[in-house]
Amino acid sequence: MLLSFENVSLSYAPNHNVLDNITFSLVEGGFYFLTGTSGAGKSSLLRLIYQADKPTKGQIHLFGKPLLPNNHKKQAELRRKIGIVFQDFRLIPHLTALENAALPLRLTDVGEDYIQRHTRELLEWVGVGDRMDAKPEELSGGEQQRVAIARAVVTKPKLLLADEPTGNVDESTALKLFHLFDELNKLGTAVILATHQSHLVYKFHKPALRLVQGRLKV
Amino acid sequence: MSLPRHLFTPAFRYQHLGRSFAAIVGIMVFIATFATAAEAVLLTASYLWGRTAETLLTVEIPATGDEASMTQAERIKQATSLLRAIPEVSSATPLSNDEVERLLSPWFDKPELLSSMPLPTLIDVERKSGADLSSAKIKSVLKPLVSDVRVNDHGTWTKDVWRLVRGLTLLGGLTIALTALTLVIAVSLICRAVIAAERETISLLHLMGTENIDIALHFQAQASHIAFRAAVTGFLIALFVTSALFFMTHNLANLSSLGWQHWASVGIVSLLVPLCATVIAMVTARISVMRLIETFP
Repeated sequence: MLLSFENVSLSYAPNHNVLDNITFSLVEGGFYFLTGTSGAGKSSLLRLIYQADKPTKGQIHLFGKPLLPNNHKKQAELRRKIGIVFQDFRLIPHLTALENAALPLRLTDVGEDYIQRHTRELLEWVGVGDRMDAKPEELSGGEQQRVAIARAVVTKPKLLLADEPTGNVDESTALKLFHLFDELNKLGTAVILATHQSHLVYKFHKPALRLVQGRLKV
Repeated sequence: MSLPRHLFTPAFRYQHLGRSFAAIVGIMVFIATFATAAEAVLLTASYLWGRTAETLLTVEIPATGDEASMTQAERIKQATSLLRAIPEVSSATPLSNDEVERLLSPWFDKPELLSSMPLPTLIDVERKSGADLSSAKIKSVLKPLVSDVRVNDHGTWTKDVWRLVRGLTLLGGLTIALTALTLVIAVSLICRAVIAAERETISLLHLMGTENIDIALHFQAQASHIAFRAAVTGFLIALFVTSALFFMTHNLANLSSLGWQHWASVGIVSLLVPLCATVIAMVTARISVMRLIETFP
């Protein structure tokens, strides 16, 4: 089992649940869309998976193990098995595309040769091979997101979480990025992609979890 | 683990926090080096002076005595013999008239006045090490020969000087301790400012699975690099200023009794200041960062 939520609720303020009694489970290697309008709770659900927030109620299992938010060491270990792509890219402005994409690899014990070779290959593969030495401000939105995707998958994580990854790019770029996520999934990485762009979701025949005001509708 | 060397550079460089960090470390090292060097010189010099002075007594034979039948030279000769005969006395040496005039000259505008005055003769008496020889005993030995003899025991005023030196040493120690404390507080505040400026980067590193200790160690490496360069600069400026001050005041404070080995020990003690400051800045940076980033998501 990749991920399971059991009666999970999340609230930031009393009497207001952002997520309300969510229960679902996902198998390893799958591609899942998480849809819903803005404010439906998509980002909050992803934040629970990558442990930026703790559930108010319920239990979450990831890779078959319960999440223990208070154990920082275990939390860090688990996060190294997850890749995250954000809507606002979150690239470090003073690092080049190559340095940004290589960052997660630098948290591992692999050598510099491998870091350089593997990151360059990956940037070529995502389509920004000719922009490796550019700083984020010199890249278009689509290019920045490709670098962010490369950074998210550079350590070959078991799970890739994407939070509105196409929110800041045009329609055709968004479609290309969706195909890129599909390709990554075919290479063995499970993908959970949160988006409000339902019309793009329909083009891919993948299971979707739909959130409506914090409640799950499969 | 090999995070990019310049990961936290923007906060350090572009927001001038690195400059503030370096300035504070440099200024603190300057103050501490100055205090340490001054304290080391004071302790060494006062020990050397005190060790010599506390065994000395000065016997003053007035120029005009009540024994008119005997010349001054004869009286000095006899007094010196009497002093040398005392078992606790190691040596008794009369000072020449020239030497006495040299000692008195700072108090006279016109040097010719000195030669026209009836100057007393001084005899330097050195006690044997550990001997109990009081000025009263010397007076009683010389009384039959010189009724109005005066004896100055240097051991009396060296005790007062030692008390003053101890007070100054404590003050110097307190200055160094307060400087170290100020360094800790200032480095801690600057580190907090840097971390606040780099909050996004640190949150991102957290989400990638970086552990706090790795972030803190990386930050510490960058901070200690800046601290070391600043500490060396502060030390060199302090060394220059201290040397210049000693050079300018060498007439007031005669430090010629200090040998090369004493100056070497002063240098070694002072050299510890920039090293200690770098270590303090390094450890403070690490602890501040660790405490702060534990509160980040």
